[in-house]
Amino acid sequence: MSAIDDLAAELARLPGIGRKTAMRLTYHLLKQPAEQNRRLAVAIADLSERIQPCARCFNLAEGELCAVCRDPRRDASVVCVVEEPADIAAVERAGEYRGTYHVLGGRLAPIEGIGPEQLTAGALSRRVADGTIREVILATNPSLEGEATALYVQRQLADTGVRVTRIARGLPVGGDLEFADGVTIAQALQARREMA
Amino acid sequence: MLLTTPAVVLHAFPYLESSRILRLATREAGVQSVIAKGARRARGAQRMTLDLFVEGSAQLYLKPGRDLHTLGGFDLTRTRPGLGADLGRFAAANALGELMLRFVSEEPQPEVFDAFVAALDAVAVAPPGDAASAGLQGAWGLVAALGFGPALEACAVCLAPIPPDADATFGHAAGGVLCPRCAAERGGRRLPAAARDDLRRWTEGLPRPGALDVGTARAHLRLLREFLQQHLHDGRALRAFDAWERDPNGG
Repeated sequence: MSAIDDLAAELARLPGIGRKTAMRLTYHLLKQPAEQNRRLAVAIADLSERIQPCARCFNLAEGELCAVCRDPRRDASVVCVVEEPADIAAVERAGEYRGTYHVLGGRLAPIEGIGPEQLTAGALSRRVADGTIREVILATNPSLEGEATALYVQRQLADTGVRVTRIARGLPVGGDLEFADGVTIAQALQARREMA
Repeated sequence: MLLTTPAVVLHAFPYLESSRILRLATREAGVQSVIAKGARRARGAQRMTLDLFVEGSAQLYLKPGRDLHTLGGFDLTRTRPGLGADLGRFAAANALGELMLRFVSEEPQPEVFDAFVAALDAVAVAPPGDAASAGLQGAWGLVAALGFGPALEACAVCLAPIPPDADATFGHAAGGVLCPRCAAERGGRRLPAAARDDLRRWTEGLPRPGALDVGTARAHLRLLREFLQQHLHDGRALRAFDAWERDPNGG
């Protein structure tokens, strides 16, 4: 196998990259200066060597703890539970949340062989058991699997005395009621609240 | 070819930035793999609700010879939020979905689709603790609709009748209960009379026995999983069934 084939085969393993795209990227890289390709190779190698799961919350971290867990201004008594590290970025973009996180590493998906033992729910229970956490916000996706995962985590924390809440669901801001699907409208109606 | 058919989402995963790949159980075209382009990004009228086990009218663009077809639209007709509100129901529903994924081809099998939809409906409203029984009834009903329901009244080999109150032996390869003589030759798993009666009720769609204790549920699930595995020749485990067997009532 040639170096071209080797690289194309590796690129084709990436999500969303097919054989043709992999070859196109390979030929593009061949036209780039050697130094630029070396920087790309080093960046990829560094990714595996320097990034690891945060020892506390399983977010991506350079070092033992992630940036959120290291930040003394974050409220460590509130934990937002998400499925994946990328979900943290979504919550952070909202700019409203000042607590900490816990990344489950996925959601219950029996057909894919993902059960409770593949998630970090046990580590969350141990975090809660140390007594410093007063609220856990379950922010798993509003899908059937996300709901089941939230229910599982809630069950695990039921005897700890900690407050467990679930993020609300409903109509998107700027959305159009006419085009909303029946499930979303039903959930928005269920989660309605008094107007002050 | 454009085909509009009732369908249920069996499995969904993201593809590229904005699309989803789905496995759909359809009434008119068996189980199909489809790509829903832009489904993760679409808003407003273009948005399709494609959560696990939702039911709707799917518009499929089918191309002969292709493994992956295109989903043009999905008009939601029914969701089953109850499946996510109880871990026992969730486990049972996933096992039913796995049964469809592993046993149904791209050939139209409307009676199998109807049995699947009825099974999901029953599991979605099963009282807490009764989801295992509802799921077992649905799964054995699907097995019967697929055409390999087990023999329970007479020996699957020599057709000798077996009294309803007698314990029996279940032979997976033989496809049902065995009389003492055939059991001695072939072996199998012991099936007490009460368990055989449960099995008969589930396969014939009779009123379900009450909620099963964990031990009984596990024994029934083991029997079902082994029976299904007997009919699969790819050596792959039934992962959702494994999970269901470990925790039949969802804790």
